[in-house]
Amino acid sequence: MMFSVFRSVFSGLTCRRLEAQAVLQQQHALKVLSAGLKTYDVPPDYSDVVLPERPKLKFFNKVPNLKKAKKEMKKLRDIQGPAKSANTFRWGQYGILALGGGYLHWGHMEMMRLTINRCMDSRTTFARWRINAPYKPITRKGLGQRMGGGKGAIDHYVTPVKCGRLIVEVGGHLELGEVESVLKEVAKKLPFPAKVVSRESLTVMQQEQAEREANNQNPWTFERIARSNMLGIRKVLSPFDLHNHGRYTGKFFNPDRV
Amino acid sequence: MAATLCGRIVIKTGCLPLVKSVRHGSKAVTRHRKPMHILKQKLMAVTEYIPPKPAAPPGAFTPRMQKTKEESGLERLLKRDLESVFSESKMIAVLQNNATNAEDMLLLKHRLRKHDITIKFFPNQVMRSFLPSSPYSNMQPLFIGQTVLFVSKEPKVKEMLQVLRSSPQMLLLGACIENTLLSREGILNYSKLPTMHTVHGELVGGLTLMTSHTVSMLHRHPAYLSALLQQYIKQQQPADSAELEAAPKTEESAA
Repeated sequence: MMFSVFRSVFSGLTCRRLEAQAVLQQQHALKVLSAGLKTYDVPPDYSDVVLPERPKLKFFNKVPNLKKAKKEMKKLRDIQGPAKSANTFRWGQYGILALGGGYLHWGHMEMMRLTINRCMDSRTTFARWRINAPYKPITRKGLGQRMGGGKGAIDHYVTPVKCGRLIVEVGGHLELGEVESVLKEVAKKLPFPAKVVSRESLTVMQQEQAEREANNQNPWTFERIARSNMLGIRKVLSPFDLHNHGRYTGKFFNPDRV
Repeated sequence: MAATLCGRIVIKTGCLPLVKSVRHGSKAVTRHRKPMHILKQKLMAVTEYIPPKPAAPPGAFTPRMQKTKEESGLERLLKRDLESVFSESKMIAVLQNNATNAEDMLLLKHRLRKHDITIKFFPNQVMRSFLPSSPYSNMQPLFIGQTVLFVSKEPKVKEMLQVLRSSPQMLLLGACIENTLLSREGILNYSKLPTMHTVHGELVGGLTLMTSHTVSMLHRHPAYLSALLQQYIKQQQPADSAELEAAPKTEESAA
């Protein structure tokens, strides 16, 4: 008691500054000091990404510039079976993959172009078509016309797309999460089932399929039965089934077959 | 119409194999799902993908390895303490501690301290590592749950029981007193025994009583002594004669 009084008197008399310091120290002691360490992920390296001069999707003509438009046959082969071209990535990292065959109209392409161009940041992102402008003529007979009288006039042009073809590629300094929502919105409006993929997920899909084919525990495979024509089964199989093993029927795709 | 047409054609062509008409009409329509032929359906069902059986989890086939932890410094210290406790003390009582609060424990400590008994707390893990290799390995079943050791250098069982009467939370399980393992009943019986000094006194008293008795007998009148001796001989004789009679008979029977 005495000591404390003495000390206070002493400090008051001698130096105010010391007291102030002590008060400051007290305040510091009251503060709860908490130190944490957060480890951030290393950001992805985009040093090898080269942005093209025109990053946005190109406008497609509605009608091809031909000297003489010729009517064609249906040629349903061009949407049937798996795609042999444009089924791997070329420029971008993310894209829309067709999971079935179908025809893309000019309207679909405009929809894709406008949506993607609007939502992407052209300074960091680019988008490229993996399809051609509509080139296949579709003929229709005029309204109220009687049947007969030959083939109708060319109504519009379409682009045939086979299953497994990439429609659009998106790349640049960005991750999948930034464009996934836009691409999904676009993909669900297409006239065939489509899916958003990245380079990695596409290779994973292909690897998985190869693995399934290699590790199938069923000794009776479609290929074996069809090729050796067991019980005359070739009578009900299409010639394409010999190659596709029931994985593709027409323009449709059965992803769970091997 | 078509049927009639076909019929006509068939009639006209007849069965000539060379003039057989080739059908071009039906195409593989790819714009909608065609109903599958039943045979193809069966084929598709038969040739479905069967995934391989999932491999056994990594720990299934490898033998279980028991981790041997290196003893920490504290554990080694406690073990050393325990060894010294067991070697130095003559009475080690094991008690179950049923949630004694700190105040009660303090009181109990003080009361026991008066009789030179100390309370020791050791983790059961340390106990289990120490006991099997020691001669006290039979005490192992006592150390389950919350246990407390009462330790003293002299076997002061009576005092301990007296102190324990005031604390019902402590349950006596067993004790090792002077290298003898005792149960609860054994401890109670042990406590009823008189002390060493009284037993010594009794023994000495008994021994001196006999000698003093003979001395007093010898100091008596000789006639009284002779009478007593005669009586003793008389008492002995019938037994001896009976024995003597019995002995030849057995010999004969044996022969």
